[in-house]
Amino acid sequence: MSHRLQALPLLTIALLAWLSCAVSAADETSGFGKIAIPQPAKPDNASECVEPVEVMRREHMKFLLHQRDATVLEGKRDSKYSLTGCMDCHNPTQADGEVVRYPDPQHFCADCHRYASVKIDCFECHADRGLARSQQSRLIPKLDTGLVSSQTFRHQLERSGED
Amino acid sequence: MTASPRYAEIRTSSPRYWGLLILLTLIAVTGFAAAHHMDVEGHHITGMNNQIVWGLPHVFAIFLIVAASGALNLASLASVFQRAEYKPLARFSAVLSIALLVGGLAILLLDLGRPDRIIVAMTHYNFKSIFAWNIILYSGFIVIVVAYLWLMMERRMHRWSRPAGMLAFAWRLILTTGTGSIFGFLVAREAYDSALLAPMFIVMSFAFGLAVFILLLLLSFRLDRRELHSSQLLRLRKLLGLFCSAVLYFVVVFHLTKLYGSQNHDFERFILVEGGVYTTLFWLFQVGLGGLLPLLLVYAPRLQNSLPSLVLASLLVILGGFAQLYVIIIGGQAFPLNIFPGYIVDSSFADGAINTYSPSLWEFLLGFGGVTCALLIALLVIRILPIMPEKLPSEIG
Amino acid sequence: MKTELDNIELRPARRRFLQGAAALATTLIVPGVFLYKSGHATDAGTRTPRWGLLIDTNAMSEADVDACVQACQREHGWHSATGSTTDAQWIRKVALSDPQSGHKRFLPMMCQHCENPPCVDVCPTGASFKRADGIVLVNKHTCIGCRYCMMACPYKARSFIHEPLQDQLPVAPRGKGTVESCTLCVHRIDRDGANAVPACAEAVNHGGRKAIVFGDLNDPDSEIVRRLREHGGTKLRADMGLNPALLYQGL
Repeated sequence: MSHRLQALPLLTIALLAWLSCAVSAADETSGFGKIAIPQPAKPDNASECVEPVEVMRREHMKFLLHQRDATVLEGKRDSKYSLTGCMDCHNPTQADGEVVRYPDPQHFCADCHRYASVKIDCFECHADRGLARSQQSRLIPKLDTGLVSSQTFRHQLERSGED
Repeated sequence: MTASPRYAEIRTSSPRYWGLLILLTLIAVTGFAAAHHMDVEGHHITGMNNQIVWGLPHVFAIFLIVAASGALNLASLASVFQRAEYKPLARFSAVLSIALLVGGLAILLLDLGRPDRIIVAMTHYNFKSIFAWNIILYSGFIVIVVAYLWLMMERRMHRWSRPAGMLAFAWRLILTTGTGSIFGFLVAREAYDSALLAPMFIVMSFAFGLAVFILLLLLSFRLDRRELHSSQLLRLRKLLGLFCSAVLYFVVVFHLTKLYGSQNHDFERFILVEGGVYTTLFWLFQVGLGGLLPLLLVYAPRLQNSLPSLVLASLLVILGGFAQLYVIIIGGQAFPLNIFPGYIVDSSFADGAINTYSPSLWEFLLGFGGVTCALLIALLVIRILPIMPEKLPSEIG
Repeated sequence: MKTELDNIELRPARRRFLQGAAALATTLIVPGVFLYKSGHATDAGTRTPRWGLLIDTNAMSEADVDACVQACQREHGWHSATGSTTDAQWIRKVALSDPQSGHKRFLPMMCQHCENPPCVDVCPTGASFKRADGIVLVNKHTCIGCRYCMMACPYKARSFIHEPLQDQLPVAPRGKGTVESCTLCVHRIDRDGANAVPACAEAVNHGGRKAIVFGDLNDPDSEIVRRLREHGGTKLRADMGLNPALLYQGL
């Protein structure tokens, strides 16, 4: 038998081993030190996201990368794709009332990005929470209205300047 | 017609050689670890701050880059200026040039605030910035010199080594002009803003590059016990003296020009008289130990055949070079900007005040890491490839 | 002897072809050139603003300048501990003493938003840039932290962030390893245009008698231009030809 044919059984075993590992890794109930399937926090007012979930899952970085140039270079801040807008809605609450920071596993972005093992550096610079939570943690003066959605974000910001 | 010199890899397996390599590797690794620590913790662990933004790592990096450009001199003398007596040294000249540049670039890139954005630096160019041009010039230099080295080594392609040598020569003049212009183009600071800085950096490159070349040539020949006749060294000695004098000339002209009009008097008084560490570095180390004493050692009639005096002169030129760059880069930042002429200025951001700088351990480690990286590359390449001539006897041509 | 060179002279047919082709190309391109030029001419109607500040140091006490600095800190979330050389300082209080008369005056010093900014010239990646409306900013997405702009700035307006940060404010993203400076409160300007008030100006409003006036330097009817016409304004380091957008009165 030639060398190539001899390798065939070995190759099959290797392939099966790899497949079984992949399958078992996807099973969230089996132990073995896995990262749980992410359950990203839904916004409190439970309205729709700016795009359908399937679109957002795949394309959100494309929207953000395009939007950041529009904001910084051209000053366009009213877009539905603004990062601060995401943070305004997707604000998980921690049980003890502490603010959720990016290193915490239940942070909206960290949840999925840890699972997918894709490192992002947005929150080295950007606030990892929206306007309302920034007020809650007393980083900026509190407003008399409650949580805000991204549409009223700028209106609230204007009012905060008068504090 | 002279016989073509024969080249061979360094063959020594002595404990000295391996011990040296291990030591250099340890220092280089420590340097990279220091850079990583700086990246994780931020630059607050270094001595650099908002007043002195470029510190010791930049002194090391620019010394290595300037020396890299000058180290190619001997190859240029052989290929471009057709001086056959330098031909045996041409390959090592090219190798050392690449090694020094890589070491200098490593320090520069690792000191960035965002070293993870090197790809951004290589894909986004603002062509009005001399820094952007330098990125292209430095990486292009490595490619060109590698090609030049190959053309020198490949016998069939030998006739192309002269055009390649001319390209490399022109490229490195532009590169060193670019390095000097990093400072020369800065109109904001009294220490810079001078067209003289570009040619001054070019002659500095001649001097520093040759000094490093001499030391490493002697080291490599000593490691492998190869014959090196003293008449070869006489030629290098004279070159070193010439380049040293040229550097002193440019330093004198630079400071005389700044002293002439009264507007720069405060700055010149700072550097030449009242600057404390900068004044000491300028007079004692740059001019004295790094300029006048090497000239004495090189030209003294009784020392003409003395090897130790040449080694000492080269070491002193290197020391003087570091002092000169420290005075230029850090002394230039220590002196305050003159935003409100005629007023006494005070603020929480050190307006009007002389800025102080004390380098931290991390910066020393990063700097030495880059130096050892360069030395390692050179010492490894001459072991793997036939770069060093088998011997340098009394006269070749 | 007939050589190669004699054959180089073009045959008449070939010459006519080339002449016709050149004429055709010119006919196609020229109208485009004129359209392009006239297209730009019609843009003159919508004028781009050039935002600037007028700082009246005669109307500013030391406490006023301190208030400016604190307002900027509150707005953008930066702090500067006393004696720290690595903390950011977007705006600072400068005390000027005249050595002969002993007169002391205080003024706020920040990015001058030059028309010909040296920081923009030297940035290798183009992260330091000038917007069409004249505001000079750092695009921190592309900043590699080389600090060359800090070397180049004649006003020492820029700061480098020397440690990891957290709890940034949503309007002012700032992070370790990048360079930053006064943004002229660009987030307010993008929202409110000519009615915007930067935080420092807001802090010294003095009940309507503004010590710092924000406005459009290109608009002849704006308050800033009117006040400049009345009392003039000085540019710092004017000899460098940078044409800053910040003008000081009282110097």
